[in-house]
Amino acid sequence: MTSPLASLALFHVGPVPITAAVIVTWAIMAVLTLGSVLVTRRLTLVPSRTQAAFELVVDTVDGQIRDTMQLKPGPYRAFVGTLFVFIFVANWSSLVPGVGPPTAKLETDAALALLVFVAVIWFGIRAGGLRGYLATFASPNPVMIPLNFIESLTRTFSLLVRLFGNVMSGVFVIGIVLSLAGFLVPIPLMALDLLTGAVQAYIFAILAMVFIAGAVSDGKPACAIPDLPNPRTTS
Amino acid sequence: MTIDWWTLGFQTVNVAVLVWLLQRFFWKPVSAMIQQRRSTVQGQLDDAAAKRKQATEALAGIAATRAGFAKEGEAIRTAAHAAASQDSTAQREQASKAAAVLEATARAAIETDRSNAEAAAARRASDLAVDIAKHLAARLDGAAVQAAFLDWLVKAIEAMPEAARRLAGAEGATLEAVSATQIAAADQARYSEAITRAFGSRPRITFRADPSLIAGLELRGANLAVSNSWRADLAQVLADLKR
Repeated sequence: MTSPLASLALFHVGPVPITAAVIVTWAIMAVLTLGSVLVTRRLTLVPSRTQAAFELVVDTVDGQIRDTMQLKPGPYRAFVGTLFVFIFVANWSSLVPGVGPPTAKLETDAALALLVFVAVIWFGIRAGGLRGYLATFASPNPVMIPLNFIESLTRTFSLLVRLFGNVMSGVFVIGIVLSLAGFLVPIPLMALDLLTGAVQAYIFAILAMVFIAGAVSDGKPACAIPDLPNPRTTS
Repeated sequence: MTIDWWTLGFQTVNVAVLVWLLQRFFWKPVSAMIQQRRSTVQGQLDDAAAKRKQATEALAGIAATRAGFAKEGEAIRTAAHAAASQDSTAQREQASKAAAVLEATARAAIETDRSNAEAAAARRASDLAVDIAKHLAARLDGAAVQAAFLDWLVKAIEAMPEAARRLAGAEGATLEAVSATQIAAADQARYSEAITRAFGSRPRITFRADPSLIAGLELRGANLAVSNSWRADLAQVLADLKR
């Protein structure tokens, strides 16, 4: 018997295994991209209901970035917003019969955490330069350099584990209950899983913003970014 | 529990590509549209504010123009009142002057008419008095009247100052005795005697008749003129009336 945590290849392209999570991710990418093209194909100054709804999504993401990062949302909107949308849709993809959410697989969550890790470094260097970014590890004093370095790795790992644990556990519980109780019994648990998926998408995006803001604000004068929350205490 | 590194790589690339795709097809266009709408609305608000400002300024201009109209109207009314008052005063003064001129002219005309009337009345009175005197003289005794006038002439000569009487009645001087009627030759000597006696000398006396005297006896010389006749009396009365 194989572990439910293992990613089984549906087929191979040469030596490369193609798993269900990758296929579902591709499908999600296709749906989101196609939907975006359709939505933004006829944007008007006087918006339709659909356009207004999607503008509300963008405006909400911008508002969250402003409130959380105390920065202009332009450079971070695409990354943070896409993280939220992808995790949200991936978590809720379990609504489609026969489809398992990609975020229930360790590789997907690890990929997301890895991207956040890289994004923190990228935005930190872009904001304050390499020296400025490295100087953030010496905050509040050089004694903290080892701890801050370890923290940058562990918080990335915590992102991975948090998302993977919540989603995977939900899928496991539903699968177990379904196998034991019957067809309609796991429906409340599925609803709870949807709520958990939405919350986890929000938490992942918020934490990504906090980590990035910590790297960016530490590389800039304090007066430029007033009232910035301390990302290390927040996480 | 193992990690499929191929899947990890695929998912990393997939999410990164998805970030780029959504940035390209969703986040950027929608945020650009939001920004465009915001700019448009801001522009319209700015335009509205500018138009409101223009309208406010225009309203203030209209109010100022109205105030100017009222002020100008008040100035015109004041000027009209002043001009009317000035014209009225000038007309009153002109009328007063004209009335004064008319009054003076009328007074002068009245005075002239009154003087003319008085002169005419005096003349008529004189003529009437002459006529009356002629009628009375015709009814009186000619000799007695002449004697009376001779007596008055003698008294007049005697009343003259001594020097004037001597000068007028000097020896060799010729005096003319004028009467209304011719004095008879017999009486002329008597008359001459009475006159020379009054002078106290012996001037030469000539006699002449002048009916215009009405009645009386006058004596005229180079240095003498004694008016002793009714004509002289009437002339004196007429002069008194004219005064």
